[in-house]
Amino acid sequence: MHAISFTALLLSMLAAVGLTATAGMKALKDDFDTVALLEKGQILLTVVVLAVSVVLVQALVVRDYSYVYVRDYTDNFLPMFYAVTAFWAGQNGSFLFWYLCVAVMGCCMIYTPGYSRLDDRTKVYFWIIFFLVEIFFLFALTGPSNPFMRLDPVPADGRGMNPLLQNPGMIFHPPLLFLGYAGYTIPCCLALASRLSGGGREWLDLCRNWNIVAWIFLTSGIILGAWWAYMELGWGGYWAWDPVENASLIPWLVGTAFIHTAIVGRTRGTLLRTNVLLASLTLLLCFFATFVVRSGLIDSVHAFGGSRMGVPLLVFMIAGVAFMLYVCLVQRKDDVTRIDDFTSRPGMLFLASWLFLCLGAIVFLGVLWPVISTLWSANPVGLDAGFYNRVCLPLFAVLALIMAVCPWFSQKSGISDKPAMGLVLGVGVGAAVVIYALGYTQPLALFSSASGFMMVASITLYFVRNKAARAFLPSWGAYGVHMGVALMVLGVAFSGPYKVEGEAVLTPGQTMNVGSYEILFTELTHDHANPAMNSHAALLTVTRDGKAVGNMAPEKRQYRNFEQSTFAEVSVIPSLGEEIYATLLGFDEQGTASLKISVNPLVNWIWIGGTLSCLIAFLCWRKIERR
Amino acid sequence: MKPETIMSTAKNQKWVYLAAILLVGTGVGYLLISGLSQNSVYFLNVSEALAMPAEKLTQARLFGTVADNGIEHDPSSLGVSFFAQDSDDPNQTIRVHFRGAVPDTFKAGVEVILEGSFTADTRVFEATTMMTKCPSKYEKNDKGQMRPPGSVG
Repeated sequence: MHAISFTALLLSMLAAVGLTATAGMKALKDDFDTVALLEKGQILLTVVVLAVSVVLVQALVVRDYSYVYVRDYTDNFLPMFYAVTAFWAGQNGSFLFWYLCVAVMGCCMIYTPGYSRLDDRTKVYFWIIFFLVEIFFLFALTGPSNPFMRLDPVPADGRGMNPLLQNPGMIFHPPLLFLGYAGYTIPCCLALASRLSGGGREWLDLCRNWNIVAWIFLTSGIILGAWWAYMELGWGGYWAWDPVENASLIPWLVGTAFIHTAIVGRTRGTLLRTNVLLASLTLLLCFFATFVVRSGLIDSVHAFGGSRMGVPLLVFMIAGVAFMLYVCLVQRKDDVTRIDDFTSRPGMLFLASWLFLCLGAIVFLGVLWPVISTLWSANPVGLDAGFYNRVCLPLFAVLALIMAVCPWFSQKSGISDKPAMGLVLGVGVGAAVVIYALGYTQPLALFSSASGFMMVASITLYFVRNKAARAFLPSWGAYGVHMGVALMVLGVAFSGPYKVEGEAVLTPGQTMNVGSYEILFTELTHDHANPAMNSHAALLTVTRDGKAVGNMAPEKRQYRNFEQSTFAEVSVIPSLGEEIYATLLGFDEQGTASLKISVNPLVNWIWIGGTLSCLIAFLCWRKIERR
Repeated sequence: MKPETIMSTAKNQKWVYLAAILLVGTGVGYLLISGLSQNSVYFLNVSEALAMPAEKLTQARLFGTVADNGIEHDPSSLGVSFFAQDSDDPNQTIRVHFRGAVPDTFKAGVEVILEGSFTADTRVFEATTMMTKCPSKYEKNDKGQMRPPGSVG
């Protein structure tokens, strides 16, 4: 089946190239009759990729080690669930998964009401650009990133899956990201196609639902990654500004900017070129994110080393940027960007979008700084987490403030509801005073948390006063997302600067103090009943002012097949207030344990807010009338 | 509305627009410059660090591999001392003292990323942060040799 799958993908690629060339040549002669042919082509491509995906999944399920990929990421002891999800554990499989998502979404596109409203010209341009993206994937899958490589002789067992990946968070994080990356293909292709065929701003309405879905997947992927880092890695943090983390954040920032400029574009009729540019840039940055992770250009804990996908990705991105600039700048020159007045809803959205783009540029600059600095420095210079916290956090804080006050501006100019604005600002000042009085005095955190409370008050007040908003389901979506974001702002504003940590080496019966908590280490236990692993646990009892708070049992595990490494299992006492977090760093034969305990205030609001935003955003979908 | 009023309103708005851009630009610019000046850190391989003149060698992010010999775990406190060898040339090594939680995946042969600074005796690197790369999946590189991913040669 190895050769058959490979051949099927190769033939798909040739078919796609043929169809694209045919449609392109006809388009140059003003003949746009190729729509039905292109649609059938897309369906064919999708059927092929579904079939080869089934082949790979089946190979993983039965542990067919004649596939290099199966040997690399599974073994005989791996639970079935993880064997299946090994599909996206490695580069080659993850590229296949990404391409699968793109193809299926393209197929779904054919049957959507939005697509039916396009004229033939736009459809043909759409498919040409969409096929070009798919051809890139097929080139990768039949060349540098082939998941169907054969192994001879066939080994008896595989290498196994890294235990760090055997966790629900890590299993769903890659596919969510890839679904997001794939989702942004459609707005990009639609934007470019629409501009090429001389259309106006209708495409903004037609790709809106796709935009929302892509955003939801990308956001949930990033948040899940952060949650996994916090719960699994044991360092007690959720965001390290590592190049690979930043790489996925950049398209998120630009994509979020695009959502807001699209609103301005729809309601005010301006920013047309900006929207085409941002839609395309978001997709290109998704490929850039993959480039950072896979090319070995930037050294990082996550970087998977130089692979042969580095140069192809770079070429694809450069070609993409060139095409995007051609379509945006050369095609038409009749757009004028005009915002009448900043103190208006569109003005605020415009300002917010600018801040998102600034943040995107800063993070982009930061990720590439080691490469850029070689222009003037013999050794590469990098930027540590402190840089990003120093530069980005104030901008996020300003965004929080804008989110809080934006609902009270009118669509045209000025404040539409002065008493409400006054009340919201009052809540902000009041919150700041209370927070300061409670001892949380760090200035930026104070500003951000006050803004967070203002956001909550603002959104609640808006819904209480505005009957039209309550009646319209997409408003619940839009304002619900921002409510989730407000909760995340509060979570970050407290759990970042006010986290308290302590490390100690204890013998059984000893205690340590972290913050206002006293932690007693009672004993070290050993569990060797489970055949897949060997585990030691430190039993801890936590009290505060003499009152019992809870128990924790952080572990250190050794997994079969990975015996040389030990893995920490974190233990927490969860809380909506101060969450207590324990890691067992090490132990010895006498039963002494070295422990790291941290107190993380309001950290769970990040996950609550994030989940709320991602789920409620589905309500933003709007019905499009089929033509 | 009289034309003059419309004109003057438009002109005022243009000034407000420019002032806002200038303000935001200055703010972001200040943040960027202070960030770049205070949070820049040299990214060095072990061989590059050994080649650098002593005065320039202060804070750095050091990339290397944990050598097989000389690993000393500190039993009473948290930390470990070891030799970091250059990923390309194992003969070049730097002694590292790391204080803090030792990552799960730390052992001889793993690639590490260390943040810290060199002491006055620049042969020793005092590391405050240590990150180990994702545990190795040994792969055949282009020359058919078995090497951990990311290594050259």
